[in-house]
Order: sequence, then structure tokens, then C-alpha cells
Amino acid sequence: MSAILEAQRIDFAYGSRTVFERMSFSVEPGSMTAVLGANGMGKTTLLNMVAGLLRPSNGRVLVDGRSVLDWPRRELSRFVALVPQHLEVPFSFQVEEIVSQGRVPYAGRFGGLSPEDRRQVEEAMRAVDVLRLRDRVYSELSGGEKQRVKIAIAVAQQPKLMLLDEPTQHLDIGRQVEIVRLLRSLNEQGITILAAIHDLAIVKENFRKSILLLDKACVMGTTVEVMRPELIEQAFAIPQSELPAFDDMAFTTPESSRLQRDCRRKRPRSKTSK
Amino acid sequence: MATAAMSIKRRPSALAALILLSCVLVLAILVSTSVGAVHVSLAEVLRTLLHPKEATESGVIVFSLRLPRVLAAALAGAGLAATGVLFQGLFRNPLADPFVLGASGGAALGGAMAVFLFPTVSFFGVGASALLAFAGALLTMVVVWTLAGSRSRSTIENMLLAGFAVGTMLNAGTSAFELRQEATNPGARILASWLYGQIGIPPWIQLAVAMTLMVAGIAVAMPLARSLNTLALGEEYAAQLGVKVGRVRAEVLIIGSLLTALAVSLGGLIGFVGLLVPHFLRIVLGPDHFRLLPVAAVGGAAFLVIADTVARTLIAPTELPVGILTAFIGGPAFLYLLNRRKGAA
Repeated sequence: MSAILEAQRIDFAYGSRTVFERMSFSVEPGSMTAVLGANGMGKTTLLNMVAGLLRPSNGRVLVDGRSVLDWPRRELSRFVALVPQHLEVPFSFQVEEIVSQGRVPYAGRFGGLSPEDRRQVEEAMRAVDVLRLRDRVYSELSGGEKQRVKIAIAVAQQPKLMLLDEPTQHLDIGRQVEIVRLLRSLNEQGITILAAIHDLAIVKENFRKSILLLDKACVMGTTVEVMRPELIEQAFAIPQSELPAFDDMAFTTPESSRLQRDCRRKRPRSKTSK
Repeated sequence: MATAAMSIKRRPSALAALILLSCVLVLAILVSTSVGAVHVSLAEVLRTLLHPKEATESGVIVFSLRLPRVLAAALAGAGLAATGVLFQGLFRNPLADPFVLGASGGAALGGAMAVFLFPTVSFFGVGASALLAFAGALLTMVVVWTLAGSRSRSTIENMLLAGFAVGTMLNAGTSAFELRQEATNPGARILASWLYGQIGIPPWIQLAVAMTLMVAGIAVAMPLARSLNTLALGEEYAAQLGVKVGRVRAEVLIIGSLLTALAVSLGGLIGFVGLLVPHFLRIVLGPDHFRLLPVAAVGGAAFLVIADTVARTLIAPTELPVGILTAFIGGPAFLYLLNRRKGAA
């Protein structure tokens, strides 16, 4: 199976601060992959790069086999949807007006919405369960509701690959579970999910694959392989003894030898699934 | 009209608002034309308009004095309110009025330079002053955007302070030009009336050119207004959705500056029209810029015609410059909005 997303030896720096150095990874179509890493390791940068908002100084990001920079912008917007961490909207825009923006990549020359667009907006609101909020003012919604509306915009884009930046952050445990359930159902409908997530318990329960960002490089594999205590310790600079609630996790696995230990090393695509 | 399809539940139709406000505008123009030192009855105004060839005394008053001024007020109001919608969308801030941001000041200074340096250059009513007014407004907006509009610095404080500093400087420049003019020079009178926000009595050719440019500018801005709805999600989000952000920003700044320059060359520094009119229409119609833009243009025209009529008759026979009246209405409204936003933030 060819990768829906592949980073080939990418370099990226903000000024003199190097974020990635010859980093490579790939994401299989239909998968649900978590991006893990400490603050400042480049999770948001990585997602923005895949969405075509940032360009690597070296190397390539391939989406569906084609370099992100070679995609016509609107076509890319129909294939890849990014759900950003924060969305604040000025003025009293209503939920339906906000979700309609997801159809901008499909709009005609003068930007009007077709009946098909209206139908897709309604479908997206139904899929994400915000249809009952359609007339509510976005800026007055709760954190969990805003998160759902953001995902509804992405669903309206009808993407094959959905990128989410910390979709469960600042939500109570109940809303977190709802969002994760939503992501799983979107994944079951064939959308590849790549999400930056802090909560390792959520990742362990729901994401089969993970990319763990270490300093300028990454480790990728199945979540079980990636969540080895020594890697977690290295990535988050926290002693193993202080890791919360990981006793039940299968930290040692015979597969771990196959782990793509350092993404900088150019290797043939390793067979990481069990 | 496509606006009908855009309508959202529980919000009134933009088309209905457009028709209603157009009726108000026509009525306001007729009433305003009849009001003045010499009263011309509404019936007479209508008769004169229908038979323009008959040279009567009221015909002279209507066609050479009243109507040009009333139409100038309408065009200036339309330009300022439409610019308000565009700049508020671009800055993502309901306080972004062309006067507050300094665009009007830039246009006035540009126009003043032209009045001072090339007083006689003019083709088809488009004088050097109109061109330099446009250049002045555009330059000011580029400076203010650079200081306060870019993503990293976009706060209310930055926007207001940049607009205040640039605007004050520009107005002082215009005052300096005014002082250099002989008091009897017609240029000095033009500059003085600009500083006060006094609607002039422009030649018909200037009205025709201004009207054409304004209608064209607003028509070109309609697709941009849709992009401004997407830009409400933020520049990065809009870029992710395929909006060419840099291009939309440039076009909004150019068209906004053009409309501001047209308004300033007709009425000078009239503040807060671009703030009041979009604000009240947003309460009624919702924030969709595509729906708002044409309605705000017509609403702004009606508002300024009415305001100028009041200004002209309030302390008759002295004519109050309408800029003073709008400042008295708009200032408190501005403070109210500022206070409410701070409370919300």
C-alpha cells in the first residue's frame, strides 16, 4: 500500500532554531496516527507543513504521491483539511456560516454556494452533531462545541486526510471521549487521521500508529512500540518512575526491534504493523 | 440576486433591506433638496426634476446648488460605509473605520498637496487632487496595515494607536497647507471645508465620475466580501481553504482607498460613518460581508444625506459641517463599542 502522506528528509527551521533535520516518515491511507512530542518539538509545524502552509527548506512532503508544493492550492484544500488548535471568530457569525467556509475550496468563480454545497454543509453538521447549533453564534459556544464546529468545517471540505492539532486539549473528560469517538467514526468512513495529541492514554486506546517527535527527528511505528518507557522518558524529559498510570501498558514488545528508531536514517519502509 | 440564497434563518433578507433603504435614500434626497434657505416644495422639486429644461428660479436652485450637494453627500456616505465594511473585514475588527484608521486623513493630505501644487490640473472632473487623494489614502493604509494589521501585531490597541498617530500627523500636514494658502484663495476654502467635513457643491462631471468609480469599486469588491467571510477565520485558516490572502488584502486596501478618496474629495474628513452604518446593519443582517456591503453602501448614502440635511438646518442660517455632527453621534458610539469589546475580551 503506498503512503497517503510521506515526508522525505525534510529540514525546517524558524530562523536559527532548527525544528526538523532530515526527518522522514510516512502515513498509510486509512490509518489513524497520533503525533506525539513535548511542547516546542514541532507538532503544529509538522501539520502546517503537510497542509501546505509552511514549506520545508529541504526535502519534500508528498501527499498522495505528489509534493505538497506541486498541488494546486484549491485541490489540496479538498484533499487535506487542517483543524487548527485555536479558532476565534470576530463578529457574530453563526455556526452554519462558519461551517460553510469549508466549501470555499469548491466554490465557483464568484464564490457562491451551490445546492450541493449547502447539502454537504448540512451533512457535515449532522456528521459532527452540531446541526442543532446551526443558528448559534460561534463565539458564544463552549470549548467542546467550538471543537466540533472546527471539525465540521474540515468534514465539509470532504478530505481524504484530516490533520488535527490538539483536538482534545482544554476539554473535560466527557467531551474528550466524544471527540475521539467522532474521530474514530470519521476514520471508519475512510478519512485518514493524523492528530497531534498530548494525552498518551487517549493515544494508546485509540491510535494504532504514532509518530513521536524527538529533538529534530522522530520515531514512528505502532503506538505500542513507540510508547516504550525509555523513548517517552527521552521525548518528554521525565523519569520513568514519574510517568503516570502506565503500568498496564505493554511496554516491552518483541516487535520493538523493528521500530524505525531514527527517522533520519534513510531506510526502506519498515513493516511496523503486527 | 445571489444574496437571497445566502440568507440564514432568522435573519432578514438583505435584498429586502436593500430595497427598503433605497426607498429611504430617494425620499431623503427629495426632502433634502427641498430644504434650505429658500424653501422649494417637494412638488416643485419633483416638477423641476421631471422637466429639467424649464429655466425657473427653483430650477436653478435645484440643479446648481441643492442637488449636487445632496448627491455629493449620498456618494460620500456610500463610499465611507462601504469602506468601513471592507476594512472591518480585513482588520477583523468592528472599529476599523476609514477615519479612525487615518485613510481619510491620508486622502485629505494628498488632495491638499494637489490643491497647493497643481491647482489647475484636471481632466473630466478628476483633478490631480483626486489622484493624489487616492495615493495618500493607499499609502496611509499600507503604513497602518504594516504597523497594526499583520498577524503578529493585530490588537485593537495597535490598530487604534497607529491610526491615531498617522491620522494626526496627516491632518496637521493638511492644516499646514491650509495656512500657506492666501485666505481669499479658493484652494484655502476647499482645504478648510475638508478639515471640517463640509460637503461641497461639486460640478456635475465630478459627481458622474465619482458615481461611476464608486459603483465599479463596490461591484469589484463583492467577490472580495465573500473572501472576507473566510478571512474572519484568520489568515492562515483562509489560506488553508484556498483563499489567496495576499491578493485579497491588496485588493481590499486599493478599493477601500479609492472609495475613501472619492468620499474625501466630495466631503472632506467625515468621521464614524464607516463605523456607525455597518455596525447597525450588522445587528440587523448579521456579519456576512457579502450581504452587508451593498446594503451598507445604500444605507451610508441615506444616512449622510439625512445627517447633512440636519447639519444644514439645525442652526440655520449657519451651516454646520456634517463632519462635526457625525463626530458628535459617532464618538460616543465608538466609545461604547470599544468598551463593550474590552469587556468581552
